[in-house]
Amino acid sequence: MLAWKQFPQMFAAHLKITFREKAVWFWNIFFPVILMVLFMIVFGGNAGEFKARVAVADPRPGEASAQLMDQLRQFPGLEIHGEGAVTAEEGRKLVMDKKVFALIELPSEENPAVRLVVHRENERNITARALAGMLEQFVQQANYAALGAAPVFSLDIETVAAGGDELRFQDYLMTGMIALSLAQSGLFGMVGLVEMRRKGVLRRLRMTPASMGMFGIADMAVRFVFGVVQIMLLAAVGVLGFGAKLQLHLVSLAVAFFVGVLAFNAIGYLFSAVSKSQEAYMAMANIASFLMMFISGVFIPVDTLPEWLQPLSRVMPLTYFVDGIRDGMVYARGIADASFWIAVAVLAAWGVLAFLIGARLYKAKSIAATR
Amino acid sequence: MPVLEVRRLRKTFGAVTAVADISFAVEHGEVFTIIGPNGAGKTTTLEMIEGLLVPDAGEISFGGLTWEQDARAIREMIGVQPQSGALFDLLTVEEHLRLFASFYRKSRPVGEILEMINLQDHRNKRVKVLSGGQRQRLAIGLAMINDPDLIFLDEPTTGLDPQARLNIWDIILRLKEMGKTTILTTHYMEEAEKLSDRVCIVDQGAVVALDTPAALIGRLTKEREIRLGFEDGEAAAREAEELLQRLGNVTRMEREAGQLRIWTERPEAALHGLFGFTRERGYRVERLSIREMSLEDVFIAFTGKEWRD
Repeated sequence: MLAWKQFPQMFAAHLKITFREKAVWFWNIFFPVILMVLFMIVFGGNAGEFKARVAVADPRPGEASAQLMDQLRQFPGLEIHGEGAVTAEEGRKLVMDKKVFALIELPSEENPAVRLVVHRENERNITARALAGMLEQFVQQANYAALGAAPVFSLDIETVAAGGDELRFQDYLMTGMIALSLAQSGLFGMVGLVEMRRKGVLRRLRMTPASMGMFGIADMAVRFVFGVVQIMLLAAVGVLGFGAKLQLHLVSLAVAFFVGVLAFNAIGYLFSAVSKSQEAYMAMANIASFLMMFISGVFIPVDTLPEWLQPLSRVMPLTYFVDGIRDGMVYARGIADASFWIAVAVLAAWGVLAFLIGARLYKAKSIAATR
Repeated sequence: MPVLEVRRLRKTFGAVTAVADISFAVEHGEVFTIIGPNGAGKTTTLEMIEGLLVPDAGEISFGGLTWEQDARAIREMIGVQPQSGALFDLLTVEEHLRLFASFYRKSRPVGEILEMINLQDHRNKRVKVLSGGQRQRLAIGLAMINDPDLIFLDEPTTGLDPQARLNIWDIILRLKEMGKTTILTTHYMEEAEKLSDRVCIVDQGAVVALDTPAALIGRLTKEREIRLGFEDGEAAAREAEELLQRLGNVTRMEREAGQLRIWTERPEAALHGLFGFTRERGYRVERLSIREMSLEDVFIAFTGKEWRD
């Protein structure tokens, strides 16, 4: 029997307990915002705007090398150290001391190639790759010029995404962060239940006519309120601070939000059923959260992960939650789309399974009512 | 009809028999105290009565209501203060009372409870910052919020300082005045003796004694111990010992220097003889005491175990 009469006071109690806990504010509000700001700056901040400071060495000065040097100066975003050539040794030292990002060595007698020297720690850096790409193109053009030929083919890059031409990396990252922080609130949020059990609060409630089902419903209601606050806050930061654009489909957003929040809270509930202490719970939640964070398409698309890892991504609930939230917030698609419903179904399956196992464990350990 | 009747209760956990056979009946308006050594089965018994554990055998009846048939009705009419505080750290005193009041069909006004547990000045404080005694009073307040007929207080004074303990005694006596029935467990014999109408001593999962504190002590023995110290030293003590020997009525005596210990079933006759003798001889008595038997002696006699506070 569900006693709705008990709901208002229970809801008020859960609300106060949640909002009075300082850790909740930090981990669920400030932390995701800080994390999102950092990621935006690192990955999304000035996408397309290339900038690098380089030194140029010219071991065999001449007319050809002067011409090359001149062309390098024309490159947008490339800043040349000291406005002139340095020796190869000086250049390498500048790179090692990180005074410049890279050294470009123009051809010499021993080495007819144009050589790019970067610090080893930047070997796989995006800027290094971009620089290499640029130089390659540059060398090719120089070759054509030397041969007196003109290129027949050229390359144009264009990006597409559902929801029009609007989707940009900021949108992708913002929605990923929203899904991640909602998921984490669920995974970590049931730690209070461990504490309530340890202190005997749950037993105490069972000695009263309080409906434990209603107590749980009131708790979930507060979590939904909190989730809405998270979405609005992160969306505001993404849109106002980093120019992300929303293409809302409210119905699919609501469905994905509702099912996803329930599913991750159910997983948290399962964790709480098997942990005797807060520490044990936090350890489990941390493992789950880290495991999912990097392979569920929050920051990096699942398709770009190593192939052996992708099947794991395809079973993780966060993968589907991220998809669902993106469908609702930036792709503006959803209820008419089969892939949306597959995502919702997988999430729901996770939630139901976790809840059933959790409830069973609570009962088996007679943590829950013996009557 | 008793408010609560427990018949032939039994509960085992694997190979361990926590409760072997416990029966008792609690009458309306009394303070009924259960005492026993650790592991005697007190907590298990209480948990079965409170509906947290299902007994293997036996019956529990709340004036005709049983857990199988009337769980909701029983929860409405009982109030429980569990041993562990079981409170929400981040809620205030008043928020606790309002939350718990919402669970019940009928409830006492929050202001009235605050006054009874004397926490009016702390009503807006969070549990986190309350003292042990204040938390315990709040826990008792929550047990009273539904104006229950039957209140369970499980070691309400354990770990409290003497003043805080007295505050809780006041609440228990107040409940009695209000005509409520209280079932109490305690670690303090003095408390059981002072507050209880009847005491039930439990050991090894069974009731070993059940009566009023006075009757339990009376049942033990009528013998009292008198201790005397003479300022005039050993000679006076020896003379007094000889006199009492002649007068009779003394079970046994022990003498050590000027100190004399006398065990007698008729302490007034022994003292009468003694004071006649000291006045006649002009001996001065330095110290005199009569030790009454206490519930602690009863406990030791029935369980064979030392009582540890």
